Amino acid sequence: MRWKRRKRSHKAEKVLERLDEKLNRQMVGSLLACVHCGMCTDACHYVLANPGDTTYAPAYKADRIRRLFKRHKDWTGRIFPWWVKAGSVFTDEDLEELRDIIFGKCTNCRRCSLNCPMGVDYATFNRMARGLLVSVGIMPEGVAVVSKDQWEIGNQMGVLKEDYLETLEWMAEELQAELEDPTVAIPIDKMDCDVVYSINPREVKYDPRTIADAAKIFHIAGENWTMPSEGWDMTNFGLFSGDDELGGAVARRLYEKVIELRGKKLVISECGHGYRSTRCEAPNWGKFDVPFEMESSVITMLRYIKEGRIKVDKTRNTRPVTFHDSCNNARSCGLFEEPRELLNIVCTDVREMYPNRAENYCCTGGGGAMSMSEYTPLRLKSAKIKADQLKDTGAEIVVTSCHNCVDGLTDLIRHYKLGMEVTQLVNLVANALVIEKAGVAAEQEDEVEVKGGEG
Amino acid sequence: MPYADLGGKNLEIDEDGFIQDPDAWDEAVAKALAETEGVADMSDEHWKVVNYLREYYLEYSMAPMIRKLCKETGFPLKKIYELFPSGPAKGACKVAGLPKPTGCV
Repeated sequence: MRWKRRKRSHKAEKVLERLDEKLNRQMVGSLLACVHCGMCTDACHYVLANPGDTTYAPAYKADRIRRLFKRHKDWTGRIFPWWVKAGSVFTDEDLEELRDIIFGKCTNCRRCSLNCPMGVDYATFNRMARGLLVSVGIMPEGVAVVSKDQWEIGNQMGVLKEDYLETLEWMAEELQAELEDPTVAIPIDKMDCDVVYSINPREVKYDPRTIADAAKIFHIAGENWTMPSEGWDMTNFGLFSGDDELGGAVARRLYEKVIELRGKKLVISECGHGYRSTRCEAPNWGKFDVPFEMESSVITMLRYIKEGRIKVDKTRNTRPVTFHDSCNNARSCGLFEEPRELLNIVCTDVREMYPNRAENYCCTGGGGAMSMSEYTPLRLKSAKIKADQLKDTGAEIVVTSCHNCVDGLTDLIRHYKLGMEVTQLVNLVANALVIEKAGVAAEQEDEVEVKGGEG
Repeated sequence: MPYADLGGKNLEIDEDGFIQDPDAWDEAVAKALAETEGVADMSDEHWKVVNYLREYYLEYSMAPMIRKLCKETGFPLKKIYELFPSGPAKGACKVAGLPKPTGCV
């Protein structure tokens, strides 16, 4: 009998062809180094919430991608494929099966990466594999819709320029009324500012309270700041979809706008994946040498307090709070002490969550999972780990520096009936802000609307 | 996709509980959806928000900006969150029979 080569679908051919372009030293190191010790198994919230189902184990999921590398790139797999568990993809169905693993069973939270004694960064090549599938059009519907909006309209929620500007104007008017000060403004496209402030489209489309709160803080701090009329979206679906081209294009819009405005520093509002993309990853994706500083708004607010530019009264925030570290902020960018320092300055009752900082569990909505409805039941089931962690703190409010976490946490809190509220640091800082008005009695301060507690 | 009994109808919903066929929406469906969003009693104010969202969606095939919602209904932002504790995106839009908003919400 003559051996016959199995035919591959066009998409499968393309995926294997493009695997070559995606490999770099970090990726190959991660693909080769796994010794299947199982340390990652206990690190993954999907495994912990689904005990007994080995298909959730990071090493198992990683092997679904690793087998392609073994079969097509590594010499061992070409000679002894059965020995090193090498394998391939042949049909579109094979690719769809892979899609349900790499998008549906992992939020790219990198907790397994941190706990791997061999330094295998599974999330990095999981993202790489997402990029390969996206390049042949295989992805969850939500990822396709949002990517299209970011490519075409320039922000992930399809917000039009006039609507964005009108909303900022509206927030400025609300602030003028609240502070009884007609000079309060949200400056647009002001040149040579010390701070250019960028946001998540979720803020402008559905919940602009965070914009008003940030503007209030900038105003009281006497900051020379502005918001860009275009390129204002600091989120980046390229991080979730694995599409470096999209990632680079989205971030370049923002970088180029800051340069056009001659801004000295880009401040990124509280958004984990936006911060990681814009500050850490996108200069590589977009091959862009960023000539200005980039800073999380958490650090900006803390700086204002330390420099004496704003004063806060922590007795305005007395309900027990806990802090949830966003995976992208804490695990991938090392931003975990500053938010705690700030939280302790603006709240009286702060309770730690365990584990925390870089070891914290994902909100379970990371990696773009909030936009992939098809996997919601799986996501909410796996959220049991996070729900137990939240409940054990005894806090009434969860604070997080990530918009995506706000929605992920809100979802699981409702699902597990925890009755907790979710808020962000900007809301708490704005609520604790002491506003000194010349010649105006202190009682007016008491009228400052109590926010912060609303998710 | 799963099905759910809403207001006496068996309707297709997505995994987040948003109905798939906007034409199947009626007041009874809205009331049933409202219960899933923690709104036990639909007041006139709730209806004002929901009806605006639905009219906007039928015309433009997307959810309006929160700015438009507040301007057209005359409600301040705070009021929207009081009426729909889960917010305008997931709460009010779901009750109005819109599909799930796109993006990380």
